[in-house]
Amino acid sequence: MEIPFVVNARKDTGLNNSKVGIWLFLASEVTLFGGLFSGYLFLRLYADYPWPERALPILPGLINTFILIGSSVTVVFAWAALKMREWRKFQVHMSITIACALGFMVLKAIEYNAKFSHHAVRISDSGPVEGYGILEGHKKKVVLEENDRLHVVHKENGKYPEESFDANRIVFKASEMTFTLTRPVHDAFVIEILKQAAKRDSKITLVEDYAVMDEDQIGKDGAEKTKVLKAGDELTTDALDKAENVFLDSRAHDSAIRTNFEKASWAWIRDEKGIDKPGYNIIDLEVWKERRKEDNEKLKPLMIGAESGITFRVEPALTLILEPSWMTSNGRNTEQLKLRDDTVIKGEMLESPMILGVDAIDFSFTAMRAREQGLDPAAVIEKSWIVQEPQLKAIWENHQEWLKGETARLAKKDREPSDLDKYRVTWQKIVAYGQAKEADPDADLAKMAEEQTLALPGWLDGFAGADHYNPEMVKHFPEVSIPRDKVDFESTFTPKWNTYYAIYFTITGLHGLHVIGGMIVLGYYLFFGRKMYDSNPDWLANRVEVGGLFWHFVDLVWIFLFPILYLM
Amino acid sequence: MSADSHDDHHHQQSFWTKYLFSTDHKTIGIQYGLAAGAFLLFGFFLMIVMRWSIAYPHEPLPGYLSWIFTDGWKARWLDGGKVTGETYNMFGAMHGTIMVFLGVVPLGFAAFGNYVTPLQIGAPDMAFPKLNMASFWVYLLGGLIMCASFFMESGAAKSGWTNYSPLAGYADKQIVNQLLAGQTQWLIGLVCLITSSLLGSVNFVTTIIQLRAKGLTWMRLPFFVWAMLVTGFLLLLAFPPLEAAGIMQLMDRMTGSSFFMPSGLYSRTDGVMELSGSGSPLLFQHLFWFLGHPEVYVLLLPAIACVAEIIPCHTRKPLWGYKPMVWAVIVLGFLSFIVWAHHMYLTGMGPVISTFFQTTTVLISVPSVILLTSMIISLWGGSIRFTMPMIWAAAFLPMFGIGGLTGLPLAFNLADLHLHDTYYVIGHFHYVVAPGILFGLFAGVYHWYPKMTGRFMDNTLGHLHFWPSLICMNFLFFPMLTQGMAGFHRRWYNGGDAYLEKASDGINVFGLTVAEKISLNEVMTVSAIALALAQVPFLVNMFVSYFWGKKVTSDNPWDATTLEWATPTPPGHGNFTFDISVYRGPYEYSRPDHGEDYFPQWEEPKRSESGEDESEEPAEETKA
Repeated sequence: MEIPFVVNARKDTGLNNSKVGIWLFLASEVTLFGGLFSGYLFLRLYADYPWPERALPILPGLINTFILIGSSVTVVFAWAALKMREWRKFQVHMSITIACALGFMVLKAIEYNAKFSHHAVRISDSGPVEGYGILEGHKKKVVLEENDRLHVVHKENGKYPEESFDANRIVFKASEMTFTLTRPVHDAFVIEILKQAAKRDSKITLVEDYAVMDEDQIGKDGAEKTKVLKAGDELTTDALDKAENVFLDSRAHDSAIRTNFEKASWAWIRDEKGIDKPGYNIIDLEVWKERRKEDNEKLKPLMIGAESGITFRVEPALTLILEPSWMTSNGRNTEQLKLRDDTVIKGEMLESPMILGVDAIDFSFTAMRAREQGLDPAAVIEKSWIVQEPQLKAIWENHQEWLKGETARLAKKDREPSDLDKYRVTWQKIVAYGQAKEADPDADLAKMAEEQTLALPGWLDGFAGADHYNPEMVKHFPEVSIPRDKVDFESTFTPKWNTYYAIYFTITGLHGLHVIGGMIVLGYYLFFGRKMYDSNPDWLANRVEVGGLFWHFVDLVWIFLFPILYLM
Repeated sequence: MSADSHDDHHHQQSFWTKYLFSTDHKTIGIQYGLAAGAFLLFGFFLMIVMRWSIAYPHEPLPGYLSWIFTDGWKARWLDGGKVTGETYNMFGAMHGTIMVFLGVVPLGFAAFGNYVTPLQIGAPDMAFPKLNMASFWVYLLGGLIMCASFFMESGAAKSGWTNYSPLAGYADKQIVNQLLAGQTQWLIGLVCLITSSLLGSVNFVTTIIQLRAKGLTWMRLPFFVWAMLVTGFLLLLAFPPLEAAGIMQLMDRMTGSSFFMPSGLYSRTDGVMELSGSGSPLLFQHLFWFLGHPEVYVLLLPAIACVAEIIPCHTRKPLWGYKPMVWAVIVLGFLSFIVWAHHMYLTGMGPVISTFFQTTTVLISVPSVILLTSMIISLWGGSIRFTMPMIWAAAFLPMFGIGGLTGLPLAFNLADLHLHDTYYVIGHFHYVVAPGILFGLFAGVYHWYPKMTGRFMDNTLGHLHFWPSLICMNFLFFPMLTQGMAGFHRRWYNGGDAYLEKASDGINVFGLTVAEKISLNEVMTVSAIALALAQVPFLVNMFVSYFWGKKVTSDNPWDATTLEWATPTPPGHGNFTFDISVYRGPYEYSRPDHGEDYFPQWEEPKRSESGEDESEEPAEETKA
């Protein structure tokens, strides 16, 4: 059996099968990306925070645009070479195409990496408006000192000390922890807690025996509970598993007994009481209520009724360093933590500030809120915690000085500074102010702004954002310690941070997957196409043509993506 | 080609490549059919458990429903043997998902489409056989992923089959490893299903455009093929936006983003949620229903397609209004893309937008009515043979009619404000899907079974299947319409019991009360259980007839005209044993100038005839 029109075109449609197939596939791709683009529009139009504009470094995106356009040209050359039966030329052009794709992905990876290591915090300020200022920067590495305080450490010989950790962890002195057996305990949590306990010589031991009645002992005189775990047993994942299994068995047993009782009462009310109506309002019937009461009495001695929680004592009290994502936001108070698997840790929260090398300050949200309520944004900002912090205050004052000059400069052209100019201090500006003041402590930023002599870092100095590995740059980024109760919401620049980054990562990620997919397919033709070239070169040309069409589509998507994500 | 296909018959195929990883469209069609059938039964079972809870909210599940669960599962999900609200939600969400995505679409479009379409256009197979196989396995994988979550701590998805955020974005958030949460697995499963249907629809449309036999011009295509073509386009263009929505919701769950989570969300257990906020729940609804509405036609068209094939054949009369039907189905396809927001009248859209969507929704009833009316008129003056397929097809017409007409009030904003989310809506779309679409597909099974197996299905068992099904369906779904008008909410897991306690005498705009209609719950539950029993003869019939059914005496046992009956029975790999050419339209029954009462598409005209009638020649441009 042979399927027709695989290589040659069908006369009335003028196309071969794969050509029809790829166009249909591309049509569906258009609606896929159409859905995502309309998501972008929806999120941007209805955003209740100032949508980040020009938030990404333009240069890598621009280079990538040209890389993709170039590769779209070479893929056509590759196809043409096949048509003219020039294998060598095909190889060259296809190799360039794939090299371009690789280059694209490398730049993408550099960009992504810069985002993943870049942190941001919303600073809660319950001032006159319920807004938040944003601090951006890199988390510092800290170590826990003897007195349970955090101390910032720096790289030595290119490495951070082994016991250092990110300065956004919760530091909590635990004295007791209770695990919930109704749900599986998350092993990774227990293992990490045990690791930290071993390091700091703490013992985590069971407070009371975990004892459960055996199923076949129920109702017998003098029956005693079996000890599953004994008081003083150490915490292990195995011990928890054991308790969990026993608990689940007992729950299943009790539930089965209760079901049988329920069924018996229903049979009784139907057969003996002759009440045969559906369940509605049955609970109001006096006979039914009476029967339930009796049932409950009879049930009690038949149940195993194992405890659903199991409590361990921590001696001596152990200072735990925990990731904030481990616990629910509600379960984070000064006396107890509730982990996401319902484990409760009791003790005392220690000072666990977030320590950030700040490279940007953003008040646009506060300004938006203030304006909504008819207040002067500048006055509201003045009261915020950020501007009280001495190092940040210095930056903010520099910025105000610069803004004065900038306003004067723009006024001459009958223009005004944008919100971005007013309320966002970018890393470029922080570096520029720092360098200007370093060169001359009395430098007049206002004048420099007016005369446009303030030197901002060039494009290559921060190719994919602020360079925290460059000591010349880093020295301008102050190390700020943010008390935990000021941290409203924190995240790296991942989809979690805001809907802009969410859609940015989703669309570019999906586009990146398309690039990788295209690369694999085109690479297959390049490296394994020779056999088909020898036997049926037209078929291979068709395949390359179809792959090329897909490649053009991937290019086209990027041409839309670049302006909406990088420029607008 | 005949020589080639002959060789292939003797080509050694192992069990694996022949039955499991087959690239043959017929095997894949049957695989789809069996898998979809199994999912349908599972979805049906979930529904019976739910109906038990609605009718007898304080009574434990009876043994015949609960034996399937383990003791541990019962302890987790049932309260003293009674269905809890959470369990009901889980079953409800999965019932909808399974029936729509894993049951009816794969059965109608993928199973029938795969088996019949290439045969009806005279093609040796689908255009991309390997893609076809991949599409089945991705579908099965997606379905299994979705259903596997029943056995996990989180349970399966529980936010309705529509999976609206923020509810769906928040459900199962307590599970630390989100890959093991039912709500996440639902999304992963969905992405698999969408991928599968994309591969499938590309394949179908390409096959229909490219692989038509010599002489099979567009207006000689059987209506079935037209319906499949339109369905293919619907799946192709409507599903990707839902894939986009699924990916975004997956991001919300896995990376903590806020695509669909508005600012300031608060939960009792978690307090103010740690989210960036500013997402839009409405965006999800738009993306969902942009698929959701065309999806309705994806469900419906294959059933209409089967019935449109069966009626001419079993009434020995051409399909009335073939051309208007073709145009109607194309218009229907177009319009189905611009009616989606009628599912969202309650989201507070402005009058301009809602007027637009009311207008398009009313407009789309025009092509639907053209289709149904043409099929009813086709019966007029025919010599109807009440064979099994015809009985089902005949029952399809009024049942689908009820389903369609009860939809009209929902098209209008004013009426929908009262009926939205009540049992009226449930009654409406179940009339369309269950006694409508499923009857159409049953008709298809009885009609093509002889081609697939070489044996007829048993008539007595068929009647035992049909009559109880027809009666039970109506006793199950008609009361829903009444209950809905009395204001029964579709998500009451205890059937209105808790509502009665608070507002026993509340009369709604239609002058009906919950109290007087609540006893219908029991009628419906009993009907549902009886309906399940009524499917036993069918299952027995499928199995028994395969081995002991009456053998067919020819390759064309129904004396039909379309190309699938030109193949050997059952068709081998490569389908046709001779070079196929098509000489006429698809429904040439009872032609006065022809001896027999049917004139197959592939039969060569006699010399004298062909000289006079040009349309009998294979069209020039398609001579390959």
